[in-house]
Amino acid sequence: MPHLDAAYRFARWLTSSTADAEDLVQEAFLRAFRAFDSLRGSDAKAWLLAIVRNCHATALRQEQRRTFVPLPDEQEARSGADVLALSVDPDGAPGGRDDRLTLEQLIAGLAPEHREVLLLREMEDMSYREIADVTQVPIGTVMSRLARARFALRAQWREQTKGVPRAVR
Amino acid sequence: MQCAERSRVQAYFDREVDAVAAADIERHTEHCPECRALLADLEQWRTRLRRDLVYEEAPPQLRTRIGAMLERESAVSAAAAAPARLRPWRTRPFWLGAGGGVGAALAASVAWLLLSPMLLRSPQPAAPLLDELVAAHVRSLMPQHLTDVVSTDRHTVKPWFAGHADVSPVVADFAAQGYRLVGGRADYFDQQRAAVVVYEHGAHVINVFTWVARARTYADVTTRNGYHLAFWNVGNLQYCAVSDAGWDELAGLERLLRDLGSRDAQP
Repeated sequence: MPHLDAAYRFARWLTSSTADAEDLVQEAFLRAFRAFDSLRGSDAKAWLLAIVRNCHATALRQEQRRTFVPLPDEQEARSGADVLALSVDPDGAPGGRDDRLTLEQLIAGLAPEHREVLLLREMEDMSYREIADVTQVPIGTVMSRLARARFALRAQWREQTKGVPRAVR
Repeated sequence: MQCAERSRVQAYFDREVDAVAAADIERHTEHCPECRALLADLEQWRTRLRRDLVYEEAPPQLRTRIGAMLERESAVSAAAAAPARLRPWRTRPFWLGAGGGVGAALAASVAWLLLSPMLLRSPQPAAPLLDELVAAHVRSLMPQHLTDVVSTDRHTVKPWFAGHADVSPVVADFAAQGYRLVGGRADYFDQQRAAVVVYEHGAHVINVFTWVARARTYADVTTRNGYHLAFWNVGNLQYCAVSDAGWDELAGLERLLRDLGSRDAQP
């Protein structure tokens, strides 16, 4: 069953380091084990990822309380362009940079609520219903967030390449 | 001005609409260049993301750590429930308490059963084979590529393989169980002509590949580029179902085909 990998991947996008991701997944599995009653025939993967997400939200709140540093509003999350501006290779020609790196940076630059629906849909291949279960929003919200995420990705890619996306090889 | 159908086109692309709506949207995109471009764009981005983003796997030490943790946990819940179980429940007035204890132990062992397979994986097929299977599946989804012989009749599909593939897989129409037989196809891989039986489950296409197992056989499930693959074998035949359908749907078809395969193998 590939759920551990999925949980870890999801955690990697939520956290900034592999160590944090590992701790988060471990915490989530412990909670999943203890709250097993709440599974009740729902999809195990969505259920587990929802727990990962909740664990992360809890940890974030605790962190916030400890440090008194207000987190940036979700809407103010760094845009892809900012992320790219920070990471431009001074020597590299724009066309010479690795596509993979750029793509990951673009996704990192999406607002968190957009990023998660996009990744759950495209990478984890989850249905709208499952994504709604993980993110605890209505399906309609999943759809609009997904559309916005896709739009933002496209727009930022265009901005960055100053042209149309390169054809799929 | 954006086309009002964009949101439905996205849902269609994500396979979230029923067959009637899908047909409707397909008709619409024929006449709407904007939505046609949107579809192509969505497809291009999906391909790109699934190809270029790294599918990270959980590090082995995390797997071990969680395994040990869950084992400790289940030992603790079993111990907590044990005293209650030792009491004779018939004579005990507060039997509800005992029931709760047993229930907790039961829940813990069920949880262990569910969570442990996520950690203890059997060796998986090599990446090139998975890539080949997924590529063949994706190729089959392109227009006109799905089937070489189109039929919902197993008496048409099965004999067709005799001249076109090296194996003769089990074929049946499971329409009653939700898996409609669409047809068959021959695909060349692993240095042989594999037989592919195509099923439809709702909006999902499921390709069932069959080939002669060589040095080793596979019996596992895995995900590659977002597609689910379920492997099993019957006799010396290796089966693999590939689809973007959910695990449960894939497992359902596997069960049906397995049953049929073992019945078929009886003399």
